[in-house]
Amino acid sequence: MSQVFEALVSAHHDEIYRYLRRAVGPAGDAEDLCQETFLRGYRAYATLPQDANVRAWLFAIATNLTKNYFRAETRRRRAYSEVQATVRETTDGRPEAEMLSRETGALVEAIVQGLPLKQRLAFTQRKLHGLDYETIAQSLGCSAESARAHVFQALRKIRRALDGHGLRPGEPLQ
Amino acid sequence: MTRKPAGCAQIADDLLATAVGEAVRGAAERVAQHVAACGACRRELEGYRALDETVAALRAAPLSEAEQATARTRLERTLADLRSRLLAYRIFPSPLGPILLARSELGISLVEYLGQDATLQASRLLRESGVDVIEGGEELDAAYRQLQEYLEGRRRRLEWPLDLRLAGSAFQRAVLQATADIPYGAVVSYARLAQEVGKASATRAVAQALRRNPLPIAIPCHRVIGTSGALTGYAGNKVGLKERLLTLEGVPTAAQAGMPTIRPQAMYWLYPGDTEYCIPTCPSLSTRPLAAMTHFGAREHAEAAGYRPCTTCRPDLHPISR
Repeated sequence: MSQVFEALVSAHHDEIYRYLRRAVGPAGDAEDLCQETFLRGYRAYATLPQDANVRAWLFAIATNLTKNYFRAETRRRRAYSEVQATVRETTDGRPEAEMLSRETGALVEAIVQGLPLKQRLAFTQRKLHGLDYETIAQSLGCSAESARAHVFQALRKIRRALDGHGLRPGEPLQ
Repeated sequence: MTRKPAGCAQIADDLLATAVGEAVRGAAERVAQHVAACGACRRELEGYRALDETVAALRAAPLSEAEQATARTRLERTLADLRSRLLAYRIFPSPLGPILLARSELGISLVEYLGQDATLQASRLLRESGVDVIEGGEELDAAYRQLQEYLEGRRRRLEWPLDLRLAGSAFQRAVLQATADIPYGAVVSYARLAQEVGKASATRAVAQALRRNPLPIAIPCHRVIGTSGALTGYAGNKVGLKERLLTLEGVPTAAQAGMPTIRPQAMYWLYPGDTEYCIPTCPSLSTRPLAAMTHFGAREHAEAAGYRPCTTCRPDLHPISR
């Protein structure tokens, strides 16, 4: 049993870590949540059905832990204000050319941090980890249609936020 | 922000879906048709396509690699520690009542007769320190199958990897190791076992150590009896189980003063260090102490353990009849 689980850690750890890192942000406890995800997985693994989708299952555990994490009201407020600071740092007092030459990607990351939780999780699972809508829906506790709607709302918000910073992704420098 | 014309508002969802590669059937064509005639929507489409490319780049790019590596190292260390402490258990039915089997990564660690209350709550597992307990899966099936075969008389030896972590002390471990050497169908006295572990006077300590045997049947403490032949003590108060196991292995018992007892005169005898087994009246045994003997219930078990019939008393020619 243990060698099989070791193989699972090898296959999925880094991906789950990146997911949690985006889910709770740079100031959050991605490492702790990642550890907890795999510890829970280890204990429950013996009773998982043979044909289970292990990757989806790990994402579901990680998502569950993330939701619990944000239920603490104070954490939510703290995370939000830190994200606002991050976005301000990126844009204040810099000439436009420099802004445009900075990685738009980093700004997208910051905007994603400011999204409502379900949109952030749905967007990350779909666009950064390629998970199918059924899996996303299960982890979020909603329908596949709702999961898709969350992803699209996230995309619209990111686009509008980039417009708001005067950045259009892909536009050439003037 | 100016409101979009009706057609543009209608196509907006399909447009976004098409841009990010999630268009449903027919949508891509509709969008292509619309943007051919609508510059604003064409720019929207291009804008979302560019965003999708940026996102794709994020997907492929590493993130917090140093922290990620630290997290992984820490996790692997924690899992290794957890693995070493984890006992997986299952409760199985048997002719002797419900039996709990638990194993660590090193081997079977516990065999426990649960009696009436066949749940984890009744098990000593919950009172052991330094172990984490989880419900096990199929890794215990093979062990259970062997146990079933043994209890049905179809197997003489359990081929289980054993983990003696629940044996409290070095002394207890030594007692258990010596007990593990007692062959199928044979019995020895507590006194003899005490001698084996180099503590000839510690008969009571040996009995205590066996009382707490975490691996009954696998480590055959049921084959250890009082010098008088009495089946004293088993798993606390389960002498009935001891008797059943001995009967299964062909060791005859009888009631004597209300206590089940073996009948040494109806068994074959072996003195430690000898290679030949005898009938009880063999002259070669006359000076040997009774307490030191190994008693076999059947010739086949003595011979399976590698012993030959004594050339003096010839058990092969004069077998014990019962």
